[in-house]
Amino acid sequence: MTTNDWLGVFFVLVSAVGMVAVYFMVFRPANKATFESQRSMALDDEDHINVGEKR
Amino acid sequence: MPDNRGCFSAFIVNLLEEETTVEATQATPVKYDMEVVRWFTIAAAIYAVVGTLIGVYIASELAWPFLNFDLEYITFGRLRPLHTNAVIFAFGGCVLMATGFYMVQRTGSTKLWSNGLAWFTFWGWNLIIVSAVVTLPLGLTTGKEYAELEWPIDIAIAVVWLSFGLNHLMTVAIRKTSHIYVSNWFTMGMIVMITYLHVVNSLAIPVSMTNSFSVFTGVQDAMVQWWWGHNAVGFYLTGGFLGIMYYFVPKQAQRPVFSYRLSVLHFWALTFGYVWLGAHHLQYTALPDWTGSLGAAVSLAMIIPSWGGAMNGMMTLSGAWDKLRTDYILRFLVVALAFYAMSTFEGPVMSIKSVNALSHYTDWTVGHVHSGALGWMAMVAYGAMYHMIKKLWGVEKMYSESLVNVHFWLATIGTVVYVVAMWVSGIMQGLMWRDYDEYGTLTYTFVESVSAMHPYYAMRAVGGLIFHVGTLIALYNIVMTVSRAGATRSAGSVPAKA
Repeated sequence: MTTNDWLGVFFVLVSAVGMVAVYFMVFRPANKATFESQRSMALDDEDHINVGEKR
Repeated sequence: MPDNRGCFSAFIVNLLEEETTVEATQATPVKYDMEVVRWFTIAAAIYAVVGTLIGVYIASELAWPFLNFDLEYITFGRLRPLHTNAVIFAFGGCVLMATGFYMVQRTGSTKLWSNGLAWFTFWGWNLIIVSAVVTLPLGLTTGKEYAELEWPIDIAIAVVWLSFGLNHLMTVAIRKTSHIYVSNWFTMGMIVMITYLHVVNSLAIPVSMTNSFSVFTGVQDAMVQWWWGHNAVGFYLTGGFLGIMYYFVPKQAQRPVFSYRLSVLHFWALTFGYVWLGAHHLQYTALPDWTGSLGAAVSLAMIIPSWGGAMNGMMTLSGAWDKLRTDYILRFLVVALAFYAMSTFEGPVMSIKSVNALSHYTDWTVGHVHSGALGWMAMVAYGAMYHMIKKLWGVEKMYSESLVNVHFWLATIGTVVYVVAMWVSGIMQGLMWRDYDEYGTLTYTFVESVSAMHPYYAMRAVGGLIFHVGTLIALYNIVMTVSRAGATRSAGSVPAKA
């Protein structure tokens, strides 16, 4: 195993653990409300409608 | 129908006009820097016309080779990289920068970190496009697909791209909202990854101002090239445009995202997964066999988040499907999602070794790329552009809503004709190349397979032409909308001045 190989193994494992952590975080029922509260964020920016935009 | 006299001059005047701030309805008004967004949007509409025109011409050259006219500057080999650079980096880049600057300001309730830097990005990006137009027909290329530009331009790309990235990231940093909307995550992911990919893949030793040699050789060069090539698709043409989808689909449908959790998962799954896929472009080559297998395995796994994202976009229309009858802009966005789902299924299937043995080096790949580029990227881009133009110029409707519908159908039909032609020709090619007779020799010569492609190449040129006509109609509609907005504003301002 070269240094390159070990680095590769390290990054693969970190990525895999990171992905599992994201799945856990996203699907944890306790986090559902927090995430879903941002659902309409794109719509909410209409509160600032036309400010700074062309008349 | 509005008065069209002097529409071009009205268009130019309106584009050059200083940004105005509408009276704020809140205690602390936010003044967005939208002028640069308007210029990027108009530039994108123009580059779409130019890029698809070059595409139609080179497609025609393949069907009718006399169109080369024995001029080396307009041969397929020289114009093909110009076509890909024009549609991906000129059209796609301007759309990504326009929407990136638009979304980050609106979802962050703040203006750009640096308006001056945004203008540097605009002029720098356009200068790079001009240099591509000059160098590629002259045959000055690195020979690396989707990274053909020579080293001085590569350095300029890195500088200008970083100016876009820095401005976007700093605007996120100074946002007034607590949460960073998912679209901005997709844009930031694209910025980080494309910087990394472009710099590594472009590492070269210059021997003159117009020539250089890659620091990578042999199979390593191929691997790095396709690590860049597929991730340009993954983070630029997919991730960047998914950011657009997650903002503009809810906006146009006036419905919140179906599942915000799914959008977060979509982002991270793509970010973790996409970087592994490049090797599936190199099946049955000198690359170690396991590398291609890994690329194919992760490609298949990527169907899940990709389809999850597509469904998330589609389901955002829950309760608003009736809008598709009347909202032509929404049609662009929804059909884009359909093509996204189709392409993200087709790609992984093509990466499987047994399928790849048939599909690789054939026109099937070309069809797959264009179902993504025309059906997904261009469709979602036009949906966003039409939406932004109405907001940016403060108009209720486009100059002609009917022309938006005409454009939609031309884009859809053109894409389908193109893709079907390439599917048929690609599978025919693959079957002809692998066919053996009873003596174990090839049934067909290569030239016979080329000859058999002629009707499909003609059909592809027609499909591309249909799509190109749609871009012309879009440009006309956009110019007239901007002109009319300027005329209306001028007319409205006269009494005030008096």
